Amino acid sequence: MSNVFTINNLNLHYGDFQALKDISLDVERNKVTALIGPSGCGKSTFLRCLNRMNDLIDDCQIDGEVLYHDNNVYDKNYDVISLRTKVGMVFQKPNPFPMTIFDNIAYGPRCQGIKDKTELTKIVETSLKKAALWEEVKNRLKENAMSLSGGQQQRLCIARAIAMEPEVILMDEPTSALDPIATLKIEQLINDLKENYAIVIVTHSMQQAARISDNTAFFHMGELIEYNTTDIIFTTPANGKTEDYITGRFG
Amino acid sequence: MTFRTQFEKELEELKLSLIKMGDLVIKNIHLSLHSFIDMNTDLADKIIKDDKLVNQLEYDIEKECMRIILREQPVAKDLRLITSVLKMITDLERIGDHAADISKLTIFMEKNNKPFVVKQVHKMADASEDMIKMALESFVNQDQTIALKVIESDDIVDDYFTEVQKSVADAIRQNNIDADYAIYLMMVAKYLERIGDHAVNIAEWVIFSILGHHRN
Repeated sequence: MSNVFTINNLNLHYGDFQALKDISLDVERNKVTALIGPSGCGKSTFLRCLNRMNDLIDDCQIDGEVLYHDNNVYDKNYDVISLRTKVGMVFQKPNPFPMTIFDNIAYGPRCQGIKDKTELTKIVETSLKKAALWEEVKNRLKENAMSLSGGQQQRLCIARAIAMEPEVILMDEPTSALDPIATLKIEQLINDLKENYAIVIVTHSMQQAARISDNTAFFHMGELIEYNTTDIIFTTPANGKTEDYITGRFG
Repeated sequence: MTFRTQFEKELEELKLSLIKMGDLVIKNIHLSLHSFIDMNTDLADKIIKDDKLVNQLEYDIEKECMRIILREQPVAKDLRLITSVLKMITDLERIGDHAADISKLTIFMEKNNKPFVVKQVHKMADASEDMIKMALESFVNQDQTIALKVIESDDIVDDYFTEVQKSVADAIRQNNIDADYAIYLMMVAKYLERIGDHAVNIAEWVIFSILGHHRN
């Protein structure tokens, strides 16, 4: 077993409010880790700690360790830009940039200084293929990305993250705005992607967590109540709160 | 607090259906032994017909389990409970078959009028009926202690079986029993012994539904 992230005793405050309480958890390579729990339980906050997206929030205080390959990403001198290159993120609502499909994917590599057209073309093609979107868009790369359907836009965002050659992909409810077919495509994609990446996904759909994840973490009121393999969480959870939540007997 | 009142109602109804099926097979075992001892072929016929009802209940419960899985997508203890029900009805159905098997023997040996009653056969029937009752009780109350008691009770039924075997062997030696009757009586005893085994299976599924793993 190899971990990409090791989180030790992570506490997070938004002002006086403590959103995460003493969280310790490992994220494994080539596995899908699902974060579940009721709204406001801290799962999205936790996800955002992994690539320091919470830095953008005023009044946010963090202590504890988020070790990415043994280095604490919250160390003073940690290179956040390189962290976000290696730890990509896909959001609830697809957010393509208002530019062509090609330029959406090439945006990150260009920011990194890649100017060579052939190389960029190759990156765009590979990324779109990995995101299972290539066949649908290969003849319309010059079209505006906003013309794609919601499901295609979300796969475009995944392709955009992949273009940076990340190691981890964070997904915050990536299918909640999609129809069932687009959702299944993304789920299939997640399953394919774990061969090369570690995926951490926040989902409100317990069926989705049960279908696609290898490990599941149940959060409640800022605490990590239970973390185990998805099979165990959904068949024999150890904690009564987990059982109540996943069986729908708990608000 | 629950947001799944309909689901809970469905689970309760599922439990009730299982009890209904259980009650019917217990009644059938009880009557099948009487049909055998009393050589009552009318009663035997009725039990054989009633076995179709047992089979129908199995199909109905199976269908209901599939419907609940489809609509409610149960997890954790709910999933284990429904899985256990699906397995338990197979055992109940087999118990029902054995009651019908005993009744069929009654019909085969209709002309034999030299009954040889071994009291342990009655005790076997009582003990195996109790085992099924306890197994169902342990399921409804999700009570592991009662389930374990069912498993332990199997030895009692097995001991009675050995006693029946000895009594029949003695009777054969002393020429006190009709040869065909001896064979039929041993078959009845064997069916009752198997019924005990099925009750044990049911109890083991109850333990699985409580613990989430099988007993070692």
